[in-house]
Amino acid sequence: MELERAILALAAALAIGLSALATAWAQSKIGAAGAGTLAEKPELSATIIVLIAIPETMVILGFVVAAMILFGI
Amino acid sequence: MSKVEVAGPRERLEAVLALLQDTGMLQVEPSAVGFIETKDAAVIDSFLPDDASLKKRLFLEDLKARLDELLACLPHTKKRKRFILSQTLIESINESLRKNLLYCRNLCKKKEALTRELSDLARYRSFLDSIEPLLENIGRTPDLDYIGLTLQDPESVGALRKALVRLTDGNYELLTAAGDDGTIAGLIAVHKDISGDIKKTLSVQNIPELTFPESYQNMTFVQKIHSLRNRTSEINAEIEETDMRLDSFYAKWGELYTRAKEWVEESLSVLQATASVFETRMCFFIYGWMASENVLPLKTRLQQEFEGMVVLEEMEIREDDFARIPVVLKNPSYFRPFELFTRMLPLPKYTSYDPTPFIGIFFPLFFGMILGDAGYGCILILISLFLRLKFRGKTIAQDASRILFIASLYAVVFGVLYGEFFGGLGHTLAGLSPLIIDRKTAIMPMLYFAVSIGVVHVLLGSFLGFVTAWRKKTGTEALFKLISIAIILCILSLSASLFGLFPEMLKRPVILAILILTPFLLFTGGLLAPLELIKSIGNIISYARIMAIGLTSVLLAFVANRLAGMTGDIVLGAVVAGLLHLLNLIIGVFSPTIHSLRLHYVEFFSKFIEPGGRKFEPFRKEEKLS
Repeated sequence: MELERAILALAAALAIGLSALATAWAQSKIGAAGAGTLAEKPELSATIIVLIAIPETMVILGFVVAAMILFGI
Repeated sequence: MSKVEVAGPRERLEAVLALLQDTGMLQVEPSAVGFIETKDAAVIDSFLPDDASLKKRLFLEDLKARLDELLACLPHTKKRKRFILSQTLIESINESLRKNLLYCRNLCKKKEALTRELSDLARYRSFLDSIEPLLENIGRTPDLDYIGLTLQDPESVGALRKALVRLTDGNYELLTAAGDDGTIAGLIAVHKDISGDIKKTLSVQNIPELTFPESYQNMTFVQKIHSLRNRTSEINAEIEETDMRLDSFYAKWGELYTRAKEWVEESLSVLQATASVFETRMCFFIYGWMASENVLPLKTRLQQEFEGMVVLEEMEIREDDFARIPVVLKNPSYFRPFELFTRMLPLPKYTSYDPTPFIGIFFPLFFGMILGDAGYGCILILISLFLRLKFRGKTIAQDASRILFIASLYAVVFGVLYGEFFGGLGHTLAGLSPLIIDRKTAIMPMLYFAVSIGVVHVLLGSFLGFVTAWRKKTGTEALFKLISIAIILCILSLSASLFGLFPEMLKRPVILAILILTPFLLFTGGLLAPLELIKSIGNIISYARIMAIGLTSVLLAFVANRLAGMTGDIVLGAVVAGLLHLLNLIIGVFSPTIHSLRLHYVEFFSKFIEPGGRKFEPFRKEEKLS
């Protein structure tokens, strides 16, 4: 029973941790490119915000999966 | 928006354009596409200005160039319009301008030369300020020569002394003083016979002598310094006098010339607008777009001003005009500040929806749901009121503060519902309890709530997409949107049945419905349709961020209070709590704003907005733009 709980906790941690890493990696790439774009075209700031925000869905999905694992849904 | 045509006799064109500019209602369309019928194209041409118009344009352009030059010389003060100008008055202004421009040009050139000379002399100022007190202590005999130096590195003074001892056998005097700019000003006094050798050696060792302007060459060092001082004072006095003369010139002529420049610019813009006009042998035609509610007032005005000689007709808007119709955002006063967020993205097409009212409804809701703390909300309300008072007359700042005010009100409301006032401080101090839900513990109910909001928002977006497609008469696309909505609802019902939220017996008919609808989805949306559907499901789940980010905010607030309690000291605890709450408040403003916007821009707008709208830019006087 204890082992099962530990495995579930590890699974939840992996679900959110890996998706957070993936989001961070994607945002670092988009952020760097976005900063370059803004230097040349400041009027694209809203588009850059949107582009940077897109990968966040991954970590949110990871969070939902982690919550489902932890709460046994 | 209405598509209109203004027609009248050619000789009234300039007057009509001036009236249109004055009213500022019509966007003149330079292209004839969609306005001139193919059968009429042979008799309607682009307007060709006559010799008189060309002459007038050249005259005005020349006048404008001279006015620009003159006004650039004058001091800038707030303009007050007291002049009503006419062509005759402009001609006399043109006459006076010749003489006045020459006068101002000379004053300007003089001031420019003086300023340049002053800036050249300024590089000696630091040296002079440092060295002048030392001159009192130095011997003044005709056999002595003085060498001025500026040393960048204070440590090089020692090396310089050694070099001087070697070159002069100790017969020298070196005085140094620290300058304001961190450099060291040095003055060497040596016998005239060896000063040349010393200067050469210093130059070889990259310690350049301070060189004075050429006109100072025959002076002694002391004379040079006094001359520089005197010249600087003279220049300052001369600049002051020139400024006074320019000021007094502005007081006499400035406002007249400023108004004349505006008049010339307005007249030129009328003449330039003729490039967008069309003509037949007798008539002119101006095509364009204007707000429908302005059609009748402008029609009446043209009728009155030109006694029926000039007419305005509304034209039929055809399907191929949709891409060309300009767009203007127009919303009730409550929603108007939220146009700030709409304008951050390309404008929607005319056939699409203005998303501002939806942002006005959902943005504060999401913000409030995420921040959800009555204490933080109250502080933000005060900040928004302060910003409103501080930035009076600045449209963007006013809009932003109004948005912050509305969003903060929602944060207070949700704070009361969640029972949060600076985290758990409200509960500890005043026994404040959650009215509907405790966010820290009710994680799954909050998650369901957030996703439910997502369902409503995404499905609303999809429905608007369906209506847009329907209005555009693209039946297949409309059907695809409708089937997508139906399948999403089926999938949600199925999920609810699987999680025990809906009766289990619902599963089978729902699966059957999905199986029946899928071929229609593929037929209407193509092979990529399932991908689009999965994207929509992902979009709905993305709303879980409302709960996730809200949870981090509430936990940080609780940590702030807990840490403050752990310090065991009232003052230290208050400082710790204050700092952490401040941090949370800053995050609490940016994070909900960015995420609420993202939910709109990515999840919601992608369902129905068609970007690429053309901004409505009516032909009007410059002053009305501000």
